Amino acid sequence: MKDQITHGLENSVTSTPSKISATQVNVHYGDAHAIKDVNVEIAPNTVTAFIGPSGCGKSTFLRCLNRMNDTIDICRVTGNILLDGEDIYDRKVDPVQLRAKVGMVFQKPNPFPKSIYDNIAYGPRIHGLFKTKADLDTIVENALRRAAIWDEVKDRLDAPGTGLSGGQQQRICIARAIATAPDVLLMDEPCSALDPIATAQVEELIDELRENYSVVIVTHSMQQAARVSQKTAFFHLGNLVEYDDTTKIFTNPRDPRTESYITGRIG
Amino acid sequence: MNSSQHIRSAFDRDLDMIQAKMLKMGGLVEAAILDAAKSFESRDLELAQEVRARDKKIDALEAQINEDVTRIIALRAPAASDLRTLLSILKVAGNLERIGDYAKNMAKRTNVLLQLPLIENSPASLRRLAREVQIMLKDALDAYTQRDAEMGMDIISRDRDIDELYNALFREFLTYMMEDPRNITPSMHLHFIAKNIERMGDHVTSIAEQVVFVVTGELPGEPRDKGDVTSTDLDLSQG
Repeated sequence: MKDQITHGLENSVTSTPSKISATQVNVHYGDAHAIKDVNVEIAPNTVTAFIGPSGCGKSTFLRCLNRMNDTIDICRVTGNILLDGEDIYDRKVDPVQLRAKVGMVFQKPNPFPKSIYDNIAYGPRIHGLFKTKADLDTIVENALRRAAIWDEVKDRLDAPGTGLSGGQQQRICIARAIATAPDVLLMDEPCSALDPIATAQVEELIDELRENYSVVIVTHSMQQAARVSQKTAFFHLGNLVEYDDTTKIFTNPRDPRTESYITGRIG
Repeated sequence: MNSSQHIRSAFDRDLDMIQAKMLKMGGLVEAAILDAAKSFESRDLELAQEVRARDKKIDALEAQINEDVTRIIALRAPAASDLRTLLSILKVAGNLERIGDYAKNMAKRTNVLLQLPLIENSPASLRRLAREVQIMLKDALDAYTQRDAEMGMDIISRDRDIDELYNALFREFLTYMMEDPRNITPSMHLHFIAKNIERMGDHVTSIAEQVVFVVTGELPGEPRDKGDVTSTDLDLSQG
C-alpha cells in the first residue's frame, strides 16, 4: 500500500511545482482517527477529484486544505500542508486570509440573503481588494462572467441571490468564491443538489476554471469525477488508497479496493 | 468474472450473459473449423454445405454481442475491469466472426476441389493444421474464462508453430505445382485453404492478447516473432 501511494506521487510529479503539497496528514476527531498519513500533491491548473464511500475522510481532508476544520473544537490536524511552499498551519497565517486564497463551494448553494451584487462583493469588501466603486463593479462583473452566469443576472444585480434557481445559486456561490482571486477552489459535492442541466453547466464551468485555478472537488458521482478531473484520489477508511491520473483510475486501477469501489462491487 | 459481486446484481447477470454468448459463439466456430476440415478430408459435400449454413448463426451472435455491449456501456457506464471485459468481448466476437468466415470459405472450396485431381496427403495435413488452430482457440477461450494471462501469453507463442506448419505446406504445394502444371489449380485452392487456417491462427492470437488485456489492463508489448516467412523469404518461394 505504501508503494502504491509512492507510485501515485511519482506519477503526479510534473515539471511545474505542486500547488498544494500535503505530507503525513493525520486528522483526529476526539478519539476517532479520520485521516491516516495522507500524502498528496495537488498540481496547478488541474482538477483533482476526491472519491470514496461516505465517511472515508475525503471531505475532512478537503476541509484541511483551507483550515475549515479549525472551527471544530475536537478536531486535531497534524502533518504538513504547503500552499505554494508555505505552511498553511503556520502560526503567522491568518485563516481568514488563507480562505480568500483557497476558496470553497459547498454542497447546497448558500447565497447570502443579500442582493446578487452584494453576494459577490462581500469577499472583496472584507479583504479590501478594491479602491473605487468602479473597481468593485469590475471585480463583480468578472467573477460573474467567469462563473458563466453574468448574462443571466446582469439586469438584476439588485435582486436577492436567494431568488435564483438552484443551478444559478450555485454558480453565484462559485462567483463569490472566485471574487477574492483565490489560487485554489475547493468544491464539496457542488452538484449534488442540482439537476442534470445545471450540473452540466457547473461541470463545464469547472473545466474553464482550471485555466486559472487548481480545483479540488469532492464528489459521490464517479461519472462526474471521470468527466471533470485530470487526477483522482480514492479514499477509504481514512486512507488515501490510490492517487493517479483519472484515466488510469477508471480503466485500470492498481488497488483492488479502488477497483471494487469504482465498479460498484462489494469489497 | 471478478470474484466479488456487484451491488447491482442485474449488471452481473448482464456480464455473465454476454460472456456466455461469446463462449457459445466460440463453440460454434470451433465446430466450424473441425467440420470444414473433416468435410474436405472425407469428401463430404453435405457436411461442407452445413458448415456454410451454420455461419449465419455465428454472424447473428456477433450482431447480438455488438448490441448488448452498446446497451450495457450506454446504460451502466462500466469502469475498470468491467469496461475491459466488455471491450474485449467486442473484439473477441469480431475475431471469432472472421475465423468463422475462413471456415466457411474452406467449406466452399471443398465443393470445387472435389472436381479437381486429388493432391495426395494434403487433406490430412490441412486437417492437422486446422486441428491445431482449433485447440489453440479452445485454450484461448478457456484462458479467457479463467482470466489466465499467463496461459494467454503461452497461446500467443504457439502461433509460431502454426506458421511453421503453414510454411511446410507452402513448400509442398510449390513442389506439386512444379512437378505437373495440372496440379496448379488444385494446389492454389489448397494453398488458399492453408493460408486461411494460418490467418485463423492470427485471430486466435489476437483473442489471446485480449485475455492479457482483460487481466492486466495492457496489451502484451513485445511484437511477436513472425513464423510465416513466405511473404519475405525469397529462398522459400524458389523451393
